[in-house]
Amino acid sequence: MIGIVLASMRSRLIPIVLVIVALSTSMALLLAIDRVHDATKTGFNQSLSGVDLVLGPRGSGLELVLYTVFHLGKPTNNITTTTLSDISNDPMIEWAVPVALGDSHRGFRVISTTSEYFDYVKFGGDQSIEFAQGVPFEKLHEVVIGSEVAKTLGYNLGTSLFVTHGSETLGKSHDDFAFQVSGILAPTGTPTDKAVFVSLEGYELIHLGWSNGSKAISLRDLDASAIPRDRLYPKTVTAVYLGLTSKLGLFKFIRTVNEYPDEAISAVIPGVALAELWSMVGAVDKAFQILNWLIIGISLVGMVTMTLTGLDSRTREMTILRSLGASPYALASLVLLETLVIGILAVTSAVGLVRLLTWAAADLLSDWTGIRTELTWLAPAEFFTLIIIVLAGLVTSLIPAAMVYKRSIHRGFLN
Amino acid sequence: MILETTALSYDFGSGRRIQFPDLRILAGEKVVVVGPSGSGKSTLLNLLCGVLPVQDGSIRLLNQSYKDLSPLRLDKVRADHIGIIFQSLNLIPYLSGFDNAVLGLRFSKARKNRVKDLARTVASLATQLGLPPDTLERNPSGLSIGQQQRIAVIRAMLGYPALILADEPTSALDPVATQQFISELNKSVDSSTQSVIVVSHDPEIIPLFDRVIEIEPAS
Repeated sequence: MIGIVLASMRSRLIPIVLVIVALSTSMALLLAIDRVHDATKTGFNQSLSGVDLVLGPRGSGLELVLYTVFHLGKPTNNITTTTLSDISNDPMIEWAVPVALGDSHRGFRVISTTSEYFDYVKFGGDQSIEFAQGVPFEKLHEVVIGSEVAKTLGYNLGTSLFVTHGSETLGKSHDDFAFQVSGILAPTGTPTDKAVFVSLEGYELIHLGWSNGSKAISLRDLDASAIPRDRLYPKTVTAVYLGLTSKLGLFKFIRTVNEYPDEAISAVIPGVALAELWSMVGAVDKAFQILNWLIIGISLVGMVTMTLTGLDSRTREMTILRSLGASPYALASLVLLETLVIGILAVTSAVGLVRLLTWAAADLLSDWTGIRTELTWLAPAEFFTLIIIVLAGLVTSLIPAAMVYKRSIHRGFLN
Repeated sequence: MILETTALSYDFGSGRRIQFPDLRILAGEKVVVVGPSGSGKSTLLNLLCGVLPVQDGSIRLLNQSYKDLSPLRLDKVRADHIGIIFQSLNLIPYLSGFDNAVLGLRFSKARKNRVKDLARTVASLATQLGLPPDTLERNPSGLSIGQQQRIAVIRAMLGYPALILADEPTSALDPVATQQFISELNKSVDSSTQSVIVVSHDPEIIPLFDRVIEIEPAS
């Protein structure tokens, strides 16, 4: 039977291939959207651990987390280090790590912070940021780079680099002060891999004499080592990562921050901000999924239409088979078997296509955020979804199969 | 006795009814059924094939009564014991001549078991019917009507079914080819185990058969 089905399908190759393409593409899209969504969610959620709160200027909590943790978007405001020191002295605060953002190096974001960043900020649950080579920055001119930066730019320990003013690749360079790589971080699969870390003081130093995005005094004319370190401590930072002594007082502390009288600041729980992001993205996901199920439905209708319109031209084929002893059930099962073959071929191509799409999406996601997602073949739930689609195809094919059965039963063929 | 029908009639509804003459077909007999258009020749063949239900009377093939058999069992009887040749368009267009010739064996283990060496049997039947060897490798679109009809004969013959039924098999052939085709068909039949019933309105072929059965127009 399968031989006859395959030969018959070969004779109608173009419409059958088109139906398979339509079905497999829609199946692949359906699965890929789900996969990319899940992988992105996991990647984002695992990018920052150990930080109880992100303190920043009052505004959108989600935006604050996106630009401080994921380097997406640009900070619009800063908070003063006076406020930072005031907040840090609160008995509920165990540690505070300030970050100042804004500059870049050959497309990679520069994060100016303290070396405590590498002690307190974690990823993927409870994993510490490890050094593949070297040590954290200590001196003004020292810089730590993420694994992706080192790999892409081919940097090693001791490599000199200049920081570019602003996040644009073609911005003005701070070419009067060279940093030197003191440490290279081990890969984390998070935005850390694509970051360049310098000390707050070093960052402040390269901005000395800058006004409105232009350089007025060159550092070449200055002896940086003669400037006392505490004089280079910045007046403002972009945000502060906070660790609390006890999680019990989290919401009380957020309230305290929100009511802070001297400056408009707010504190955000990173997970809560991300949950806000997922609820926004989730609606778009749902819309895409509904659209995809519709496309799958249309593809299945297309398959049935193809079978139905082909039935008249296949009357002779059916008659010959009937004359050879094929029962009406056997003829109907030919139609169902054809649907099954189409379904299996569509599923097989969909699996390959999903892997391809996931791979491409993972690459895009990594380029965009630095988050590296795991590539997997087919999860049981995905396999179940594909089986449901094939079964739906078989159910819809019962219509032409029943027609074939009705046409052949008790109907003479010698005339 | 290969086939026996008794008091067989078929009611088309709206008062049109055909009463068929009783048939007793012996092994090796070649019979032609003649009658004017609309006399029910094709209906008789459809009844003998088991695709139309026996309403009145009886049909017995190899001592099995059709009335005792379920539709599925009748399909099996047809697959095992009846070879059918159509008027034209006998072959499935997407299969080669060979695949068309052996198609019937897919539906009948009994017939398949009766063929010892399939390739040799098909080749021998093809030679007997005057088909060039490469004909079997070609698809129907590359064959003449006569060649297609001969492949249909091979398909009907393979596995030695007891009864060969042919519905106007020569209607698309010229008189010379018709004579040749019927002679080859009759020669291919094993006279000890097989019988042939051909329906035709061509009086020229009557002398090529052992017996002629005439059907009267329907009442």
